[in-house]
Amino acid sequence: MINKNTSVKSSLIKNSRLIGKIANILLPLMLGVVILILWQTEILHKIFNTDVFTLPLPSRIINIIMDNQAKIVLNIQATVMVSVFGLILGSLLGYLIALIATIFPKWGAGGLTIVSAFNAIPIVALAPVITNWTKDVSKDAEIRSMVAKIIVVMIICTAAMSINAYRGLTELKPFSLDLMKSYASDNKSIFLKLRLPNSLPYVFTALRVSVPASVIAALVSEYFAEYIIGVGRQIRENIVLAQYSTAWAYIMIACFIGILMYVILLIAENIMLKNR
Amino acid sequence: MHNKDNNTEIMLNQIGMVYNSNGKDVTALTNVTLDIQKGEFISLLGPSGCGKTTLLRIIADLLKPTSGEITVGGESPKEARLKRRYGIVFQSPVLYDWRTVRKNIQLPLEIMKVKKSEYDERVESMLDLVGLSKFGDHYPKELSGGMQQRVGIARALAIRPEILLMDEPFSALDEFTREKLHDDLLKIWSKTNKTVVFVTHNISEAVYLSDRVCVLSPHPGRLSAVVDINLPRPRSKEMRSSVEFNQLVTTVRNSFEGV
Amino acid sequence: MKVVKKIFSSKSIVTLAWIIGIMLIWEIAALYIEQIKRTPENVLPHISQIIESIFSDKMVSNNQTALQIVLVNAKDTLLRAGTGFIIGMACGFILALIMELSGIVEKMIFPYLMALQMIPILGMAPIVLAITHDISTSRIVIAAILTFYPVATNTLAGFKAVEREKRELMYSYSASRFDIYIKTLIPSCIPYFFTGLKISAPMAITASILVDTLQGDGGLGCMLSQSLKHAMSIYVFWQIVIFSAVVGILSFYLMGIIEKIVSPHYHKKKAKAGE
Repeated sequence: MINKNTSVKSSLIKNSRLIGKIANILLPLMLGVVILILWQTEILHKIFNTDVFTLPLPSRIINIIMDNQAKIVLNIQATVMVSVFGLILGSLLGYLIALIATIFPKWGAGGLTIVSAFNAIPIVALAPVITNWTKDVSKDAEIRSMVAKIIVVMIICTAAMSINAYRGLTELKPFSLDLMKSYASDNKSIFLKLRLPNSLPYVFTALRVSVPASVIAALVSEYFAEYIIGVGRQIRENIVLAQYSTAWAYIMIACFIGILMYVILLIAENIMLKNR
Repeated sequence: MHNKDNNTEIMLNQIGMVYNSNGKDVTALTNVTLDIQKGEFISLLGPSGCGKTTLLRIIADLLKPTSGEITVGGESPKEARLKRRYGIVFQSPVLYDWRTVRKNIQLPLEIMKVKKSEYDERVESMLDLVGLSKFGDHYPKELSGGMQQRVGIARALAIRPEILLMDEPFSALDEFTREKLHDDLLKIWSKTNKTVVFVTHNISEAVYLSDRVCVLSPHPGRLSAVVDINLPRPRSKEMRSSVEFNQLVTTVRNSFEGV
Repeated sequence: MKVVKKIFSSKSIVTLAWIIGIMLIWEIAALYIEQIKRTPENVLPHISQIIESIFSDKMVSNNQTALQIVLVNAKDTLLRAGTGFIIGMACGFILALIMELSGIVEKMIFPYLMALQMIPILGMAPIVLAITHDISTSRIVIAAILTFYPVATNTLAGFKAVEREKRELMYSYSASRFDIYIKTLIPSCIPYFFTGLKISAPMAITASILVDTLQGDGGLGCMLSQSLKHAMSIYVFWQIVIFSAVVGILSFYLMGIIEKIVSPHYHKKKAKAGE
């Protein structure tokens, strides 16, 4: 009697878990569909008190993306290149700073306070300064703009990485450092066997912040760049020309780049931190 | 089938608990039958995985058993909870960082809509009971672990519950602090006459404190013995090294199955 | 000797040394630029030159000194950033609360909340301007959206981080839902809420300045672009750069100070009292 009772209950639990999993996917999907329908049927326009000219219908945006594929790809390349190179260089620099701070803890911690303060500097203040500084890098405006943009992204990504990596390098498990010292290990093997693996999850924490930030920084730095290229710049240029549908197409693209890069990061994180 | 004399506070009849973990049924408890008397100090003792905490949570109405029946003072655990008959002390003190010791003890009174004019008197008497009168205006972070756990006990007693449920309350403390708190707890118990259900994995702790020790064995969790502790009260430090005490510890230790 | 050692080992001295170090590097770079450039003030002026321009009473445009221009426009920009920040803060907190209250709403909205983080909102500034048709409103809206996200996610994380035992304690008291929120959940998430605010305060300012640059209607960003196009003294630009950096950093610390005032128990230390 008791046994039968329990098995009924546990199968109920199983069913409710399955329903929960389906709901996890279905509920947000439903919301998305509802918004799309509201948008396409222009009800959204009434809510925001706007018109199809400023807020074009989804179908029109898709058409524009289809019609301008070649040009769009060119702009995507420019933006992605800036954000990826900036992200890599900034993260490397950030990790290096964290490493130096770990070697000289007293001065390093103070330095990191400064770095985190840099974090609060608006990109808008940064972008034009860097554009000025890189005027002599190359005679080619395309290249020197690219360098300027990459430097902006790099600076934005450095702070997040250095602060998190420093924590990863120094916040070790209790006694692990003592254990290494009892093996009489030198600094190099302490770094390779202990600090480096310990910092890996922190590196991904930093990347979760700096991947979206790198895309945003790339888009904004394009506003101030000399050479007119990139998804962000296209949004602005098309708004200025009152071509709102095209601008919206680029906004969709920008969102897509942001989401795609984040998804790639999550996959990489899943693979790298599998056994933790 | 059960002799329901007036003195039974908690009655457990063939309690079973089955969890579903990753599609597999795991039996946490099976066939636990036990009567707990009013004013009794009873320990649920066992290694991890024996279901002792699960049993406590079933009594506290934090879990529903998948089989069997349970009454608390003749009512369901839910009714008992709604009547605020339980005071719970957890393994960690679970204090509210942003409230002073005084305000922490006052918290359940606020929720129970006790008259504001009564707050001070009741909180003060609780502080006095646990020996923290001087620390009422300190924040929990300023106190040592043992003192924090005393605040937890005071908070549990503030609502004047009939039953005190304690889930390994002293396991995170050092031996010296723990022994001190044992004597304090017994003093409080003798003053207040609560029914205490005390979960622990420490054999001598269970023996020292309890009227009866319920020995639970794991895989699956079950009640394998109930040992009467007929040491005289009040208990004292000297008793810990007595022959009787150590015999009881051995008896309890030998009643485990499959560990 | 000991005193000297103590001063040198204090944290603020280390920070001060770093600031001096950075200023030194700036000056060396500025000296170098001075040698090789025709208009060094466009690339990197001396710190002293910027400070001098702050106190100079030379009219730069419209009978205003450079400092007057910065301060007048800063008032507009910061006011809008502040308004957006407060609106975003309120919306973020309320959304987190609603998500905590209702599992269905949480499931529905959470993926979009995550996606919002990946969407470059600053890149959308022009479109917000196009929809609202008003530069002030769009500045407020963008600042609000940027504030909203960190506040909402951090506050929600704060709700989720409440120990199970605290919820069980409230359950054992048969506390009402209202009491559970007022006495336990909301006070518990305050530190997380402030983490969100610390992230979003500088962002709200950035957003407000950026939206300024889109239309010539006053505000720091607008002056910044004009100065860059040499419509007025380049020192206006440098002053704005320094000003926005300082205000951004200050806004971060301001949130920390407010947090300490709101929750005074955080800097209490363990008392020496024993058992």
